[in-house]
Amino acid sequence: MAKNDLTTRNLMLDSLKQYAKNRISFNFIREHDAKNEIPLDILKEMYDHNVLGVHLLLIPEEYGGLGGQTTEIYRVCEQLARIDLGIATGVFATFLGSDPINVGGTPEQKAKWFQKIAHENKLVAYGATEADAGSDLVSLRTRAEHVVKDGKVVGYKITGSKMWISNGGVADIYTVLALAPGGPSWFIVERGTPGFTQDVHEDKHGIRLSNTAGLAFDDVYVPAENLIGLKEGQGFLQAQAVFGYTRLMVAAFGLGGGEEAVETALQYAQQRIQAGGPLAEKQGFMLKLITPHYIRFEAARAYIDWTAKQLEVNNHGLATEGAIAKLYATETGNKAAEDSIQAMGGFGYTKEFPVEKIKRDVKITCIYEGTSEVLEMTIFRGRWQEHLKSRGQYYLKQADEFDAIHAQNPDVGADSVALGFRALARVLEDCRANKLTRHQYVTFMLGDLISEMEVAAVFSRQCANKVITEGSRFDLTSLSTMARVNARQSAFKTATDGMRLILGTCPNINAADLSQGVHLVSIEEKMRGLIDDMDVVSAKLREVFKK
Amino acid sequence: MNIIVCIKQVPDSTQVKVNPKTGTLIRAGVPSILNPYDHYALEKALDIKAKTGAKVTVLTMGPAQANAVLRLALALGADEGVLLADRALAGSDTWATSYALATAIRKIGQYDLILCGQMAIDGDTAQTGPGIAHHLGIPQITFCESIDANGNQVVVKKLIEGGHQILEADLPVLVTMTMPHDYAPKYPSFMAAHKAQDKVTLTWSAADIGADPHKIGLEGSPTRVDRIFPPPARPKGEMFTGSAVELADKFVEILKKESVIK
Amino acid sequence: MIQVASNCVGCGKCVSTCPFGALSLVNRKAVPNASCTMCGACVPVCPVKALSLPASAAEKKDLSAYKGVWVFIEISDDGKTQKVRPVGFELLSKGRELANQLGEELCAVVIGDNVPQYYAELSQYGTDKIYAVNGPEYHHYNTLAYANAMVTLIKKYSPSVVLFPSTYIGRDLSPRISSELFVGLTADCTGLSVKDGNLIQTRPAFGGNIMADIKCPDYRPQMSTVRPNVFKKVVTTPGKMAQVVTEAIAVPAQAAKVRIINTHIDEVSAMDKLDEASVVIAGGRGMKDKNGFALLEELAGELGGAVGASRAAIDLGLKPKEKQIGQSGVTVASKLYVACGISGAVQHIVGMEHSDVIIGINKDANAPIFNVCKYGFVGDAHQILPRIIEQIKKTK
Repeated sequence: MAKNDLTTRNLMLDSLKQYAKNRISFNFIREHDAKNEIPLDILKEMYDHNVLGVHLLLIPEEYGGLGGQTTEIYRVCEQLARIDLGIATGVFATFLGSDPINVGGTPEQKAKWFQKIAHENKLVAYGATEADAGSDLVSLRTRAEHVVKDGKVVGYKITGSKMWISNGGVADIYTVLALAPGGPSWFIVERGTPGFTQDVHEDKHGIRLSNTAGLAFDDVYVPAENLIGLKEGQGFLQAQAVFGYTRLMVAAFGLGGGEEAVETALQYAQQRIQAGGPLAEKQGFMLKLITPHYIRFEAARAYIDWTAKQLEVNNHGLATEGAIAKLYATETGNKAAEDSIQAMGGFGYTKEFPVEKIKRDVKITCIYEGTSEVLEMTIFRGRWQEHLKSRGQYYLKQADEFDAIHAQNPDVGADSVALGFRALARVLEDCRANKLTRHQYVTFMLGDLISEMEVAAVFSRQCANKVITEGSRFDLTSLSTMARVNARQSAFKTATDGMRLILGTCPNINAADLSQGVHLVSIEEKMRGLIDDMDVVSAKLREVFKK
Repeated sequence: MNIIVCIKQVPDSTQVKVNPKTGTLIRAGVPSILNPYDHYALEKALDIKAKTGAKVTVLTMGPAQANAVLRLALALGADEGVLLADRALAGSDTWATSYALATAIRKIGQYDLILCGQMAIDGDTAQTGPGIAHHLGIPQITFCESIDANGNQVVVKKLIEGGHQILEADLPVLVTMTMPHDYAPKYPSFMAAHKAQDKVTLTWSAADIGADPHKIGLEGSPTRVDRIFPPPARPKGEMFTGSAVELADKFVEILKKESVIK
Repeated sequence: MIQVASNCVGCGKCVSTCPFGALSLVNRKAVPNASCTMCGACVPVCPVKALSLPASAAEKKDLSAYKGVWVFIEISDDGKTQKVRPVGFELLSKGRELANQLGEELCAVVIGDNVPQYYAELSQYGTDKIYAVNGPEYHHYNTLAYANAMVTLIKKYSPSVVLFPSTYIGRDLSPRISSELFVGLTADCTGLSVKDGNLIQTRPAFGGNIMADIKCPDYRPQMSTVRPNVFKKVVTTPGKMAQVVTEAIAVPAQAAKVRIINTHIDEVSAMDKLDEASVVIAGGRGMKDKNGFALLEELAGELGGAVGASRAAIDLGLKPKEKQIGQSGVTVASKLYVACGISGAVQHIVGMEHSDVIIGINKDANAPIFNVCKYGFVGDAHQILPRIIEQIKKTK
C-alpha cells in the first residue's frame, strides 16, 4: 500500500474530530477531570478498528497496522490535544510504549506483540522513569537478573519500581527498562504477571483523564524471549533513537493545547463587549494576550512539520531538532494557555470554560518526555558542537543563506533572521572565548536562544518557499506577515538576552562593542512597522476565528 | 445492481461567518465538508449495497480539491469515484451542472439507481437532482426520508406537504434524499481511510464526457446575477434595556398593548 | 474567470463585493484568482464597466413571441378533499402586478381532476385566463405526467414568466420543466419585479447577509419558485370569470413507472402548524439547549402559539428541520413573532419579516434582528422568559 497522502491524512483528522464531537463533550471531560477518572471505554473505543483504530498508525503495515508517517502521527497528536490532553496522553502512551519494540524488536517479537496490540486493542505503557532516573536514565535502579536453566539463560527476574507511568494502572502490555547483567535493556511485561503490581492512580494538577501510576516489580519472571532485540545492553540506544520523534509528538501536544485555549479566548472576546465594542477589536487586548501567541503557533507548526518531513527521510535521529520543537511549542502553548485565562478574565478562571483545564493540562508538556531545562541543555550541547566544529561559522553561514533569501523574498523576515543568526554566532563565540558556559544558566539560556532563532528561520524559509504548512488556516500573505513579526522579535531577543548573559558573567567585555557585535541597532531598526504588522495579523485572526 | 451517488463538496455552514460590513461570506480558513444531504444519500446507497451487493459509484463535479469528498465516500464503502473537473465548467448554474453530471453518468454507463442529496447547503436550490433525471430521461422521486431497493424496484418514503407518501418505482430511477434532523454523518476508521487510497478514482474533463460546450459553464447557464445588495434597512423599533424583571414586565405590558393577552 | 479590462481604475469596489473572496488588487488593478466562480456579482458594481463575463457565443434569440405571466396552481389533497393551496392565490396576486408592468396577460394553470370547481376562485385575482388540464388520470400528482402537461402547454402558448410555489410539488416539478426547456429557474424568490422587460428575481444569495437580483435575459420563459406566505393575496376582480382554455394532454406511459402505495397526512394541531400560527415563538443559537427551548414551548403554550427555530438552532439539533423558519425552511406571517436568541441573519429575516408585530430578545444590542423588530429587548432570554411566563399566568 502507498503512504498516506494529504487527502487521507485530512480524512483521518476529520474522522477523529467527528468522533470527538459525537462522543467527548466538554461536560464529559469536565466530569472526568473533577473525578480524576480515566475514560477507559473511550480509549478502547478509539482503538476499535471499526470506529477509529488510532493506534494502528504506530503499527507497521506488515503486522496489520497503518505504518503511519511522522507527519500524520504528529497531526493526530495535535488534534488529540485539542480534544483533551489527558486522552491524548493515554493514546500517546501506547505509541510510546510500542516504540522500543518498533526500534529494537526482532521480526518475531514484532509479529507477536504488534499483532496483539493491533487486533486485541491492547493499551501499552512505557516504563522508563524512576524516582532517581527521569530523562537521565543513567541512574537506573530496576534490575533484571538471569534465570539460568541447564546452563542457559531462559528468563529474567525483574525487581524495582517505576514512577509516573502513563497508562501505568490500566495498560495490558508494559515495556520496561531494567538493568540486566549486560547493561540497560527493555523487557516486555504483561499485566497479571506474578509479582508485578500497579500503584494507585496519581492525583495530578492536570491531564486528569490520563491514568498515571507507579509500577512495582518483585522478582517478576519474564521469559528470555521478552528481552527486546534478544540482546542485553541496547536499552539506552533504543530509548534515545526515538527521542527526536517522541519529542515532536509532545511538541504537537503543546501546539494543540495552546491553539485550543487561544481560539476559545478569541471567540469569547468577539462577543464580550467592553467600552462600546467587542474586546477582540481592542488593540491592546489582542497584541498583549492573543496575537503574539498565534504567531508563535504558526512558527511552531512550520518547524514541527519541517522536522517531521526530515524525520520521514532520515527515519530516526534529529534529537536536537526534536528538542527545539518540543521546547518552543510546549513553552509557547503553556504561556498561551495562561494568557487565555487572563484574556477571559473571571470567566477564564472558572470551570465553565475549558481554558483553565487546558492550562493545567498543557503544563505537563513542559515536563514529560524531557523537561524544558533538559531540552535547553540538549539543544545547547548539540549546537555548541556545531559551533566549535565549524570554528564559529555554523550560524554565520546560515545568516548568509538568509540574506540570499531576503534578496529574493523581502516579505518573510529573512533579513531579521540573518541578523539574529549573526548575533547568535557572536554570542556563542564570546561564550567560547571567555569560557562562559561554565555557568549552567548560560547554557540553558543559549539553548533557548538557539531554539528561538532556528524556529524563526524555518518559518521564514517555509514562507519564502511558499509552503503553507498543512493544518494551517492562513493564506501565504498572512503567514509571511507572521514570519516577519516573529523573526524580528526572535532576533531582538537573541541580541539583548545574549548581551545580558555575556555582560552579566564577563567583566572585561565592553558593552558598546558587544552591542555593535550583535548588530543591536540594525535589529532595532527592523522594528519599524512591527505594530502595524501585528495589527494586520490581529485582523486576520478575528476573520479566521470569527464567532 | 449499479448505484451512482452524486455528491458535492461545500463549505461547512456551521463555520461560515459573515462580514458585517459587506454582508459577504468570510471563507478564509473555513473547512470544506461533504454536503450533509449527499452524505446521508451515500449512507443509504451503502445500506443497499450491504443488502444486495450493489456496486456504488460516486460522482462529483468541482475543482481538484473535491477529490477529498470522493475519498471520504470511498472510505465509507463506495467502490469507485469519478471527479468531473474542468475550468470550462466554472460558472455553471443548476441547469449546466445537471447537464454535465447527467452526461458524466452516461459515460459511466451502467446504472439502475441514482441517489442525490435533496439539495446542497451552499445553494439550497434542490434543482440538480430533477435536472439530472430529466437529462437521462428517467423518473425521479424527490425529498425521500428512506429508501429500500431490490433488483427491479425501489420503495421510498417521500415527504409531502403535511405528511408523507410511500411510493414504489421501477428502475432505473433517480431519488433525492432529505435527512433526519438529528443526523450525525458517519466517518470512516483510519484503516478504511487508508485503504480508500487504493480505490479507483477517475478524473474526467468536459471533453472526456463529450459534453456540448454550449451547455456547460456560463454558456449553459441561463441565469445571471443582475446585482447584489445588502438587505434594505428599516426604521428601528423601540428598544428596551434593564434588569430581567424590568424587561419581563415591559414585555407583558406590550403583549397587552398589542392585544395579545388581556 | 471574470475578465478585467484595461480601463480598471483599481477602486476596489469589486474586491469587497465578491462573495467568494476571488478578487484582489495587484498594482492597482483588480485580479481574479482561482476561487472565481464566474457568478457575475462584481460586474454591475464596477463604476467604469471594466468587468465582464466571457461573451456568449450563442446567437441572441428573438424572445418577443413569449407573452403572459403564468402561475402553476397546486391542488392540495388531504385524502378527503381537494382544494387550491393558498400559495397559488398569493402568486396570482403578485403575478397580476408583474403582468401589468409587462403589459401581458395573467394566467393560472391548473392540472387535476374535476378542476372546473376552482375556476371561480382562481378568477378573483385579476386572472385573465385559466389553462386547464383535467381528468382522473391527473387526480394524484405525478412528476412525469404533470411535467409533460406543463411542457406541452408552455411550448404551445409561450409564456414569458412561469411562477411555481416552492412546495414539495413545486420544487419537484419546476426543475424538471426548466431542464427540458433549457431555461433558467430561480428557487425561493423573496421578491419579483420587472426591469427592462426582464423578470428580476430577488433572493438571499451566497449564504451571506446579502441579497441578489437574478435575471435570465436570453431565455424564455423565466421561471421562479416562491415559498408560501412571501406575497400577500389580494382579491382584485371579485365575481369576474377568467377565460378558460382546456387542453387534453395524454399522460406519457413512463409516468406509470412511479406509483403511490399510500399517503399519510399528519394530524397536526393548529399549535404545531408553523405556517398558519397566529403567534410564533422562535429560538436561535442563543437558546443554547433543549432547556432553553422548553421555555419557548411554555410561552407558546400560554399564548396559543407554535414554536420555530432559526437554522443555527436546527443545525444544533434543538428542533427538527420542519420547524426551521427562513429561506430554506418555512416562511411565516404571524400576528405576533417573538425571536429569542436569534441574531437575525438575512436567511432568517426573509422567513418572518411579514409578521405584524415582531419582538426580539437578544443579549447583543447590535444584533441585526433588532432592525426588523417593532420592540427589541436587550437581555438574556433565559432569564427574562420565566418571569414573562409567570406574569402571563397571573393574568388568567
